[in-house]
Amino acid sequence: MRQVKALIADDEPLLRERLRAHLAVLWPELALTDDARNGAEALELVAAHRPDIVFLDIRMPGMNGIDTARALARSTHLVFVTAYEQYALQAFEQGAVDYLVKPIDRVRLADTVTRLQRQLPASAHDPAALAATLDGLAARLGHHAAPPARWLQWIKASVGNSVRLIPVEQVHFLRAEEKYTRVVWDEGEALIRKTIRELADQLDPERFVQTHRAVIVNLACVREVVRGMNETADVHLRHGGEILPVSRSYLHHFRQM
Amino acid sequence: MTRPTSLRFPISACLPAPRHAVVVTAFTLLLSVPLQRLSGSPYLEVFGHVGCVGAILLVACSAAVALRPRWLGPGLARLAAIVLAAPVAVLLTFLIAERGNVVAFLRQPQSQTAYVAMVVMALLFGVPFSLMAMRSERRQRERADRLQIELEKNRLERELLDVRLRMLHAQIEPHFLFNTLANIEALVASGSANAAPVLRHLIAYLRAAMPRLNDADATLETELQLVRSYLELMRLRMPDRLRFAVATPPAAAALRFPAMALLTLVENAVRHGIDPSVDGGEIDVGGHCDPHTGAMTLWVSDTGVGMAETALPGTGLANLRSRLHAFYGTAARVDLHDVAPHGVRVELHFQAKETA
Repeated sequence: MRQVKALIADDEPLLRERLRAHLAVLWPELALTDDARNGAEALELVAAHRPDIVFLDIRMPGMNGIDTARALARSTHLVFVTAYEQYALQAFEQGAVDYLVKPIDRVRLADTVTRLQRQLPASAHDPAALAATLDGLAARLGHHAAPPARWLQWIKASVGNSVRLIPVEQVHFLRAEEKYTRVVWDEGEALIRKTIRELADQLDPERFVQTHRAVIVNLACVREVVRGMNETADVHLRHGGEILPVSRSYLHHFRQM
Repeated sequence: MTRPTSLRFPISACLPAPRHAVVVTAFTLLLSVPLQRLSGSPYLEVFGHVGCVGAILLVACSAAVALRPRWLGPGLARLAAIVLAAPVAVLLTFLIAERGNVVAFLRQPQSQTAYVAMVVMALLFGVPFSLMAMRSERRQRERADRLQIELEKNRLERELLDVRLRMLHAQIEPHFLFNTLANIEALVASGSANAAPVLRHLIAYLRAAMPRLNDADATLETELQLVRSYLELMRLRMPDRLRFAVATPPAAAALRFPAMALLTLVENAVRHGIDPSVDGGEIDVGGHCDPHTGAMTLWVSDTGVGMAETALPGTGLANLRSRLHAFYGTAARVDLHDVAPHGVRVELHFQAKETA
């Protein structure tokens, strides 16, 4: 019979060694390839060694365990390894994919080894069930992570010899000044290279409005808008004495209020 | 969508506020009583004249405030409107009363006297009214400002309470705890001499991270010890990816410091900076105190993956800011800096105060 090969992918070296030691006792005939420290390495090593089994940590830098599993050949048996994923564990309930919890319990690992030995000559997971499990896992982990933000949250500005990350909620207004844009916030002001046009597209329109070709203002900082002559107006800010212009084409932002 | 602004438009803005209209109506009704006595004309006729002048001046004032040029304040605009509109208002009133026959009417000497008297009276009463309006406007604005300050104070207090309540809940992330325990188990199983010191770091971390009611006995020194324990545990877990240096600034032992404030930043640096990076990076924690001014700067700097400009700020930073404000006053600051070529540096600035 051909020797069974396995790969361990985990970013924590002590945990890789521990799993190796457990497997050496429970399954001495198992041949372990070099370990992978992240998802990308796991894919390389799988291509090189074609292991029958991959022990895959879910949280890894770069490419995580779920994405790595999607990219793996369907003939590979997967065993996910995780420390504690309160929500994610539900994804394994259908039993399509095996999983282990860290710190690894030797009795539990022995069950997994027995199951793998029984299944092994046969082909691996049912593709549909595997895909469903991976989707469920990704959804449950993604549910926990912050959703990708659409709008700018920080403005990078050179202040002295460092680059400040200014939270947008602290920004009072932005105003074009020749080649640069002046940003005024709670703690001072700075010049940035982004243009008003770029900023108008990137800032949350619920919080920032463009009032003029050269001006974007934070609505939370507006004290009042005073109507002037010729379909224009002035924006008076809460902090400081700066008065910003509203030109005719942007006045509609302040109508019906 | 609601916007915290209001736009005054000419049409609606030229109309006087109802409150002003009531005041002027009441005043002209009263003023007509002595004038009726003096002139001997019927009361309604006198009120017709006085009321008409009052109404025109009121509208002139409101329109002047709404349409005034940018350089003119509302008080001055109102005053100018009264002075300029008074002669016109009286003339208009006569025009209406005499049904357009005003030239013939003004030829009579007693009419001329009446005209001048009316204009003088309009100025005499109109100017004080405009000054009164200016004062009440200023009071209203002061009241609004006071309310704003009060609201801001309430918000700060509420935020601090939120932070305190959250501190009462356990802060330990299960994923961190079980992964660390798995590492310690591996050390113990392999008979490593490192097991005992690592376990001590975990104990120190857990003790600090337990729910607590107040941080009366926390100092910068205890905080830096906690940070070291946490980083030692993380280095055990990712020895090839995490390097760190923690420097203790002088006088750290005597400096009261909100517990877990630096730890939060270091945990963020590991979680969002080092851990997502395949190559890892370095974390540098340190501080500096200006011996003359007592201005304290603490920093947590990492060379991890850095922060996207669209990364949503977590509640951690806002909480940290509230706690620093509560501890060191509202001049305390939390600044974020970009680290070249990639990474984030967070700086805390505050005025150091020694333990009593």
